[in-house]
Amino acid sequence: MSDLFNPTDEHRALREMVRTFTERDVDPQASEFDRSEGFNAPLFRKLGELGLLGITVDPEVGGSGMDAVAAVIAHEELASADPGFCLSYLAHSMLFANNLERNGSLEQRKRFMPDACSGKTICGMGMSEPGAGTDVLGMRTTAVRDGDHYVLNGAKMWITNGAVSDTELGDVFLIYARTSEERVNGVSLFLVEKGAPGFRLGQKLHDKLGMRASPTAELVFEDCRIPVANLVGEEGDATHHMMRNLEIERLTLAGMSLGMARRSIEIMNRYAAERKAFGRPISAFGQIQRHIAESYAEWMAGRAYVYHVAGLLDLDSGGNRIDSDGVKLYCSTMAKNVCDRAIQVLGGYGYVGEYQVERLWRDAKLIEIGGGTIEAHHKNMTRDLSKLDKLR
Amino acid sequence: MKILVAFKRVIDPDARIKLTADRSGVDTDSVEYKANPFCENALEEALQIAEEHDGEVVLVSAGGPDIDKTIRAGLALGAERAIRVEIEDTVLDSDLAARVFAAVYKEEEPDIFFFGKQAIDSDNNQCGQLVAEYLGLPQACFASEVVIDDDGEVATVTREVDGGLETIALTLPAVITADLRLNTPRFAKLPDIMKAGRKTIDVMDLDDLDIEDTALKIELVSLEEPSARQAGVKVGSIDELVDKLKNEARAL
Repeated sequence: MSDLFNPTDEHRALREMVRTFTERDVDPQASEFDRSEGFNAPLFRKLGELGLLGITVDPEVGGSGMDAVAAVIAHEELASADPGFCLSYLAHSMLFANNLERNGSLEQRKRFMPDACSGKTICGMGMSEPGAGTDVLGMRTTAVRDGDHYVLNGAKMWITNGAVSDTELGDVFLIYARTSEERVNGVSLFLVEKGAPGFRLGQKLHDKLGMRASPTAELVFEDCRIPVANLVGEEGDATHHMMRNLEIERLTLAGMSLGMARRSIEIMNRYAAERKAFGRPISAFGQIQRHIAESYAEWMAGRAYVYHVAGLLDLDSGGNRIDSDGVKLYCSTMAKNVCDRAIQVLGGYGYVGEYQVERLWRDAKLIEIGGGTIEAHHKNMTRDLSKLDKLR
Repeated sequence: MKILVAFKRVIDPDARIKLTADRSGVDTDSVEYKANPFCENALEEALQIAEEHDGEVVLVSAGGPDIDKTIRAGLALGAERAIRVEIEDTVLDSDLAARVFAAVYKEEEPDIFFFGKQAIDSDNNQCGQLVAEYLGLPQACFASEVVIDDDGEVATVTREVDGGLETIALTLPAVITADLRLNTPRFAKLPDIMKAGRKTIDVMDLDDLDIEDTALKIELVSLEEPSARQAGVKVGSIDELVDKLKNEARAL
């Protein structure tokens, strides 16, 4: 019997392992780190012990060698309990580790991957800038070759794992920067380590609506000198790397939305069966039934879409943008709506922290913005669809 | 040192179960299975001992091919190989299971045979004891601490008994059954989950093991669902609570 959500026994075992870990270790700490806007580094390192940080990385350099479906499973399960923590996991394992795995040289992978996979280093990726988001190729950070170094100048914004505290940078980053004015073929990718001269924390961002357990920062480069050995791929070919890695990024973000929606449905379903009004459980009322039934159907539709696309996604090739954008476009708003309905079903109890759904609702909103706004997905998908006469 | 661990699957204890129409069993049509939690404690202890004493951990389970999933989960935790005795697990009682395990013991000749103290589906708590009896081995049930001496010859086991703790020393080979407080089972690591698919599960049947007495000693007559829980009542004072506990619930 084939199971779209767990295509192999390994996938099923992975899901069971992450789910048990999530119930035992992730759920109990989620609300505390949401409130304090702190990063749970010890818990993050446990993900390394379990082999989750390098989930799609070759075992030769310390990873677990699994596929896109496995990455989605891990994100769905972790995000059901703590989306903020899971977002840090995503920035590290997908935006950094998977990106370097696909685009870096063997030497670079050997140098950075074992520590990234074990959790000894906490890593991220820098693409957006204070003045360039959806228009990512409008980035202004520059890298100028100077002997056996590149000199970086500029700033990167909204960098998950950019800081591990108010004052301390994360450890290693993949940073996109312009090596020429050519819009598409002028972008290059660099490995930048904490401690590089001229690399500093601009600010750790505070007062985020949600995803408060993942640190977000502005990174600043002032005549930052990077050895030439830290150039990833060839000079000017990074737009291609970026587009390919955005596919798994968006797919796993959609996986996070699935986890948030699932937990919200479980909570409203249980509550509706227990809570009584006018002498009956509120699940007997049509208004509540609509919230629950529509949420479940939309979640399952999104789930089928995400796992279908994940099953077909080859991490080494690009060209899947319609659907990698499509899953996030659909699931981000789906999860936000499902969380909203869960609050509505729980009434006053949904509006306070104890029942988790208000936190999930705040977290779910981010997926409509981060990793590509839904407007960016509209733009990309329509552009790619315009090249097709017929749909398969 | 070789350690054999009996590893049983049970219906997911968190799932709601229902009985078949004729009340002869649990409806297994859409249930999920998990490893019996006490068996997970037994495996964890075996793994820790094997790590310390350079040993090999072998799983043994009885059932059809559909229990391989649970066995693979155990292999992913670190057991090196497994033996599955082919039998319909619906026609097993504790005694037949014990005879099967005793026969496997004779094939493998381990230093320690670990069991969970009981399976959480039927809660019989018999298998380990019966195996020890059939093999004439020393036994320590409900272990909450196990220490193996440097020579691998003596197990010092702390047992959870009604009045407190009892510590006994056993000459190996021996049967030990694990209680919940013995340890906290580890999580399977991802690379080990990938490797588990390539580990060996040897399949044997009752003939291979020369088991003569295959008769079931227990006949399941019928199953009943627990009666629905009565609604609680609110009491107005401590005095009223004490009165109800004494005179209605008769708990005091």
